[in-house]
Amino acid sequence: MVISSDARWEMVDAITRQTVTYGTYKQTLGDVLGDLTVKPLTGIPVAVAALYAFWSIFTSFAGTLVTDGFMVKLFDGYWLPWLQSVWPDPTSWHYFIFVGNPAADTCFEAFGMLTSGLFVSIGVVLPAVFVFYLMMTILEDSGYLPRLAVLMDSVLHRIGLHGYAIVPAILGLGCNVPAVTATRILETKKQRFIMMTLLALFIPCGAQLGIMMSVLPDLVGVVMLCLVVGFVIFGFVLNKVIPGENPEILVDVPPYHWPVKEYVAKKLWNRTKGFLKEAVPFVLFGVLVVNLLYLGGVIQGLADLLEPVFVTWFGVPKETVGPLIAAFLRKDLAIAQLSTIPMTTYQTVASVVLVTIYFPCVATFVVMLREGWKQLIAAIAVLFVVVFIYGGIIHAVGILLGVA
Amino acid sequence: MTEGRADLPEGGTTVLMLGNPNVGKSALFNRMTGANAVVSNYPGTTVDFTRGTFIEGGHTYTIVDVPGTYSLEPRDAAEEVAVRMLRDCPDATVMIVLDATKIDRGLYITLEVMERGMPCIVAVNMMDAAHEKKITVDIAALQRLLGVPVVSTTATSGEGVRTLAEQIRKAQVANLGGIAKRLRGEEPRTESLRACGGCGGC
Amino acid sequence: MRIKLSDLPFGATAVVREIQTSAHDLNCLGLRIGKELKMVTKQPIKGPVVVILGELEIAMGLETAEQIVVETGVDR
Repeated sequence: MVISSDARWEMVDAITRQTVTYGTYKQTLGDVLGDLTVKPLTGIPVAVAALYAFWSIFTSFAGTLVTDGFMVKLFDGYWLPWLQSVWPDPTSWHYFIFVGNPAADTCFEAFGMLTSGLFVSIGVVLPAVFVFYLMMTILEDSGYLPRLAVLMDSVLHRIGLHGYAIVPAILGLGCNVPAVTATRILETKKQRFIMMTLLALFIPCGAQLGIMMSVLPDLVGVVMLCLVVGFVIFGFVLNKVIPGENPEILVDVPPYHWPVKEYVAKKLWNRTKGFLKEAVPFVLFGVLVVNLLYLGGVIQGLADLLEPVFVTWFGVPKETVGPLIAAFLRKDLAIAQLSTIPMTTYQTVASVVLVTIYFPCVATFVVMLREGWKQLIAAIAVLFVVVFIYGGIIHAVGILLGVA
Repeated sequence: MTEGRADLPEGGTTVLMLGNPNVGKSALFNRMTGANAVVSNYPGTTVDFTRGTFIEGGHTYTIVDVPGTYSLEPRDAAEEVAVRMLRDCPDATVMIVLDATKIDRGLYITLEVMERGMPCIVAVNMMDAAHEKKITVDIAALQRLLGVPVVSTTATSGEGVRTLAEQIRKAQVANLGGIAKRLRGEEPRTESLRACGGCGGC
Repeated sequence: MRIKLSDLPFGATAVVREIQTSAHDLNCLGLRIGKELKMVTKQPIKGPVVVILGELEIAMGLETAEQIVVETGVDR
């Protein structure tokens, strides 16, 4: 038996009347907080404060406390000298691949699988993603995200999305892989395409944020600014260019809950485990591939070939070609590698931004393919155009400011 | 997680968990199967389905945590996954999960599923939140009216999950005409769960 | 008095009388004709509108809110 929508609602009301009774409703602290965090006058300062707190906990705990205070000492003080002393024959190919540069003083410079590979993944990125996931989990479980979506809607609706796109955006700051799938909460193909493309282009993942914080702490702000500006500019352009609907936000705002400790712990454990299982082998594999390509002279050849584009158009040294290849496997690795190339401040910012936007990492690439190959191809086409244009714009701005 | 068509495993019963977004389907799913589906407090956490199994009374159930949806007319790609699952598993039992504080909103899709003639069982979740808000849901009355088993649960504490698992085998095909009659008080309510024999609970 | 939902002042309550846009999605979220709602906030620069309906709180775009007619001053 099939009935009309109206008849269904009538039945729903009749059932509810006979089974549910409402007592006197008392406003709770959660309701008051709910109101305060969604009203613009109070909500926007709260959002800024929350993001600031998020950021400062992230940098101080992961960057200063764990990485600088413990991991750097451990890896550079004991692990690297020990490996360099026990590994036979510093001139051999296996020394180059596993230990790297025999003259290196730090695990960043060495660039071997067991030196930089382990240091980047365990020493720098692991503490960063752990803290990041902890805070993200609390944001998710408390019920704050839908409220943040309401506050962000005014901006996001003008770039072809709506406020709820903040969900994949924030997930993407952890890892772009689940974020790509999360674009399914958007209603139209146009919105999903715009969000997926912007994700792949302008949202750095937690691993990348972690390594940036460690190797270029003073420049992270400038890099993030370049990315946010790019996100808005190209979102605006894509909204104009891509046909399709951009429906308004329509979303349920759940009441606040105290995050359930058990769930937070479980989620944190699963995500960290996922990182160890998938990211660490990829970083090691990335070092291996890059080292093999160096040994085979492939990177040198590519660098010579692409020199005009890199030096003239983007204004960065041709040595950055190597890290760009590593970036396809792991972005964190690429930035670690960039940090060892001597560059001016402008060149560092420009090359880090390029590494971020130029291509999604291979894992993201695979999930994007799962969401549809046509969109993937279109996204890649957009990506190349954007990288070329935005890289040029950054260079031009650099020249105008007199830094490039 | 697998994408696309849900391949039905050999033997056992497939149970699809369906309901509005953010009513605690994934939390309930984790409780029943010991799996690790992601749980959050915002609508749209689950955008793909996750499958798990549990054994109850010697019978194996494959239970699928489906993305939340408000109706069977999908609004976004996550809701499409839910509707496609329902279409691809016509022989499945449907476990409808309601939020005890928002019963009316979940009943709409409950009726839509019932119209499809699939055997249903209803879980009224988030009973703790309803209690806090002084909302009472007459579970027995709801069961009599709908003519399918209704179990109250609190996924965060695990309350009622055991009973829910035991009751799955009693899932019923509901009759909308019967519900309408019972709502008007025309049919003796005690007859509504005829097939529910040998059970001390109801 | 009947007004557009988008014109309802902060904190005011009203009863939904008419939905001039596709009503299905709004209905599903709990906004239906005859329901009483309370305005929580309207975001600046044409941002979304947030209303409370009993236990429910929903956010919708301004254009949607402009197509919902509510009646104020209904004694309940």
